[in-house]
Amino acid sequence: MPRVKLTEYEAKRLIIGDAYRGVSLRADAKTKIPAGKYVVKVDEGVKRRMKQGLVALNVAPADIGKTTAPWKKKGWTRFIAEPMVPHEEKDERYLSLERVREGLRMLYAREGGIEIETHPEKVERFSIANSADIARIAKTTGLPEPFLAHLVEIFDKDFFSFLEINPLIVNGERATPLDAAVLVDSAGAYFARGAWSEDDIVGGKAKHAAEERVAALQATTPASLKLSVVNPDGSLFFLLSGGGGSIVIADEAELAGVGSELGNYGEYSGGPTREETYLYAKEVLGLMLASKAKKKALVIAGGVANFTDIKSTFAGIIDALSEKADALRKANVKVFVRRGGPNEREGLAHMKEFLEREKLLGSIAGSEAVITEAVDEAIDFVKSAAV
Amino acid sequence: MTILERIRNGEDGILVIGNHAKIVQSILDFDYLSGKERPSVVGIIAGNRRAQKFFWGREEFLLPCFAKPALLPVELASRVRFMLNLQSGRRAFETAVSFFETFPKALGGHLFAENVPERHATELIKRYGGTKLIAGPSGVGLLVPKFLKLGAIGGIDAVQISEGRLTGAGSVAVVSTSGGMTNELIHGVARAGKELSFAISIGGDRFPIASLTDVLTLAQEDPATKALVYFGELGGEDEYEIAAMMKEKKFTKPLVAYIAGVIDEAFDEHMQFGHAKALVARQDESARAKRSALREAGAEAPDTFPEFLRAFTNLPGKEKRDTTISIEPLMNREKSILSTREIIDLEHAPTFIRGKKLAPAGAGAFVRATLAALLGKEPRSPVTSAFTEALFTLSLDHGGAVSGAVNTMITARAGKDLVSSLAAGLLTIGPRFGGAVNDAAKAWQKGVSEGKPASEFVESETKGGKLILGIGHLKYRVGLDDPRVKALSEFASLLKKHPHYDFARSVEKVTTAKNGNLILNVDGTIAALMLDILSECEGYSEAELAELADAEFFNALFVIPRSVGFIAHFMEQKRNDEGLFRLPENLLFVRKDKKKDR
Repeated sequence: MPRVKLTEYEAKRLIIGDAYRGVSLRADAKTKIPAGKYVVKVDEGVKRRMKQGLVALNVAPADIGKTTAPWKKKGWTRFIAEPMVPHEEKDERYLSLERVREGLRMLYAREGGIEIETHPEKVERFSIANSADIARIAKTTGLPEPFLAHLVEIFDKDFFSFLEINPLIVNGERATPLDAAVLVDSAGAYFARGAWSEDDIVGGKAKHAAEERVAALQATTPASLKLSVVNPDGSLFFLLSGGGGSIVIADEAELAGVGSELGNYGEYSGGPTREETYLYAKEVLGLMLASKAKKKALVIAGGVANFTDIKSTFAGIIDALSEKADALRKANVKVFVRRGGPNEREGLAHMKEFLEREKLLGSIAGSEAVITEAVDEAIDFVKSAAV
Repeated sequence: MTILERIRNGEDGILVIGNHAKIVQSILDFDYLSGKERPSVVGIIAGNRRAQKFFWGREEFLLPCFAKPALLPVELASRVRFMLNLQSGRRAFETAVSFFETFPKALGGHLFAENVPERHATELIKRYGGTKLIAGPSGVGLLVPKFLKLGAIGGIDAVQISEGRLTGAGSVAVVSTSGGMTNELIHGVARAGKELSFAISIGGDRFPIASLTDVLTLAQEDPATKALVYFGELGGEDEYEIAAMMKEKKFTKPLVAYIAGVIDEAFDEHMQFGHAKALVARQDESARAKRSALREAGAEAPDTFPEFLRAFTNLPGKEKRDTTISIEPLMNREKSILSTREIIDLEHAPTFIRGKKLAPAGAGAFVRATLAALLGKEPRSPVTSAFTEALFTLSLDHGGAVSGAVNTMITARAGKDLVSSLAAGLLTIGPRFGGAVNDAAKAWQKGVSEGKPASEFVESETKGGKLILGIGHLKYRVGLDDPRVKALSEFASLLKKHPHYDFARSVEKVTTAKNGNLILNVDGTIAALMLDILSECEGYSEAELAELADAEFFNALFVIPRSVGFIAHFMEQKRNDEGLFRLPENLLFVRKDKKKDR
């Protein structure tokens, strides 16, 4: 499952522990902050905050509200305030850890604050497999060994995938992360035992109500249901199945030069039930009817399934189509189908009979046809001028 | 010999962990259609059952289930070569490790779960990478046509197995990250008139246990494989490894690849697609960049999927299909809903009368037939039948005072029929009346298997005032023997060893030291001696005896004869017909009602 990013606040809380003095600020909450000078930042996983003006230095607690107000106006909702850490530039380091096939890979540079992609020559690489490696690396780099051992321990225990501290301030035996970014393995949530939760993850938030509803549905099923709204006024809408097959079909649209016509992208797979497929299809049909495109096509397509039952998933799609059949016909929508898998013949026969009866049929094919056939015909349909 | 060759030599035993009946059935159908003599699946690891029904061709059979891999009997364990792990991401790692600890020589496996944490995947790579062939996490598994179907790969219905030509061995290898596209490619190969050498879905996770490099090495070393088709996606850098292998001549066979994901260019930001790995983090992870790298290394990497499929026709390998398989036997199969065997052989009725004289049926014919029905096989020893006959006789009735008999009689007096009255009596049987034999059997088994001194056993069993079933009598005591116990105990002299009986007696020694009434009672004696007799005379193992106790066999030894006793009490009540029974008021202790006093 994908890697997801934690808020900087949560990342540092996990790394530094109780000694961490940062404060998490939400747009909608008032927090009491002790006296002192603070650095205040937007905490939503954005890169290059300094350049974008999303960082303010030397802010007194009383001025924090004033500082964040313009950010709030722009739609940012999460901020972080941390006591200023005075330091010398010579103490800045770069450090990252990433889980790789062989174990952990560490990148290290004696200069902090650099973009490592642009300065590969300054980066040292290490591979960490055991505690002997940690001791050796501490010796070579001059990093405090207990700090490095602690980082590796947290990294494993809390199911991190990637950790970048840039800069890391090293002063003798003291190491202080000034800026930290952590990607966690979303599949590790159960095993991390509450160290972090859904609420600590930034970005990837649903932009559209339909996406939100599908995400909520996804949370309740072992099947895979994904939806992204691409162009709300697109002409091609998709009910795709299979992680790989869905990309192939979308690729075909892009290669035909109509990538911008995609109304939505996503997939249902992993054996969803009839009811789950109905709820998913309903969201796609809703998007499609809301699109202002003149000519619209629905593509129901996917590979030859291994175990997803075509008969029952198609029954779910037909349930959703029946509810909107009149509206779809009025909008001159045509439906193009290509799908194979268990109970393929029955599933396709039901779908064909339904689409013919409702006068919605564009074309329909099974595993004997190439996977891209339905999308090709749908593209021809939306491109053709006459309605 | 490579793993693929060992599979083609018939090393195909699969142990399934977790449950996905449709996938398991598809493997059995594949085996059957491939002409195998026996199923490749040897068992299922499932905690809540002992067997599960599946079809072998048209016939149903029971596939054994076990709580953990270590419990497989030797004859099944010796066949295990592969793990099919159908557990969720939460249990996949733990169960995979337990499998390979039990079967260190296994050849490989497949992890079906979609959300196995990266840390678990890398740990599995550390332990088994390079030595075992493990498909996944995620994806649909491994297929060697005609020889092994490890997972949902190639589809789960018979039509798919037939149309994908999964039972004919050919020369084109299929490799894909995506499970669905593996199947699409298998069908593409079949449509191009070719057959497969093997197919593997390595899964769309970031760290597949069998890596692309591992699979290419496998394909290179496999004499049957003449060419390879590959489906990959944007994200990750695996394709650069393929390119490197080709440049270094570590992979020299023709390769046709499709890298999906140019659609990513249509979005403002890089998008996370369905598979965990399918996200572009650096420019060189894009579909286009990876295609170019492959082309440069000498692979064919078409831009569109239809072109990719058309390229299959030019691959080496035979075009003609020499055999057709009939899936007819697998269609419209009807599942039975209960399993049973024939308790009584109706075909062979015994001779009762011979030459107008009674034919000798042999002593205890009814008891023998009863034991055969209960145990599922004829008793071997006359001791078993004689002991059963003895305990049946002794347990027939214990007078009208006992609660089961009382209920039977009261019900009969209320004018009810035979079956209702008998049921009233039978339903009274439980922990306090008549139901102790089974619990006593469990107690003696526990005692013998733990091997602790009886005093310790008594102490731990009676904590909190609990009783040991099989011990204690209201009337009989030390010095006043229960005559039934005395009679039954004589059977011990027919046995070489009687550990359960000895243990029961040593427990009695401890308990009677506390109270003279805590003697070994008739329930405890029946249980102990039946255990010893089944063990010595019928060859039952401790595990088989435990199964009998779990199925309450030892309670049946009371229920059967006592049913006769209850019916006898019923008959007597009907003969006497004294009308409705009512308890005399003076025999009831009536508490004073406070309200009435006021």
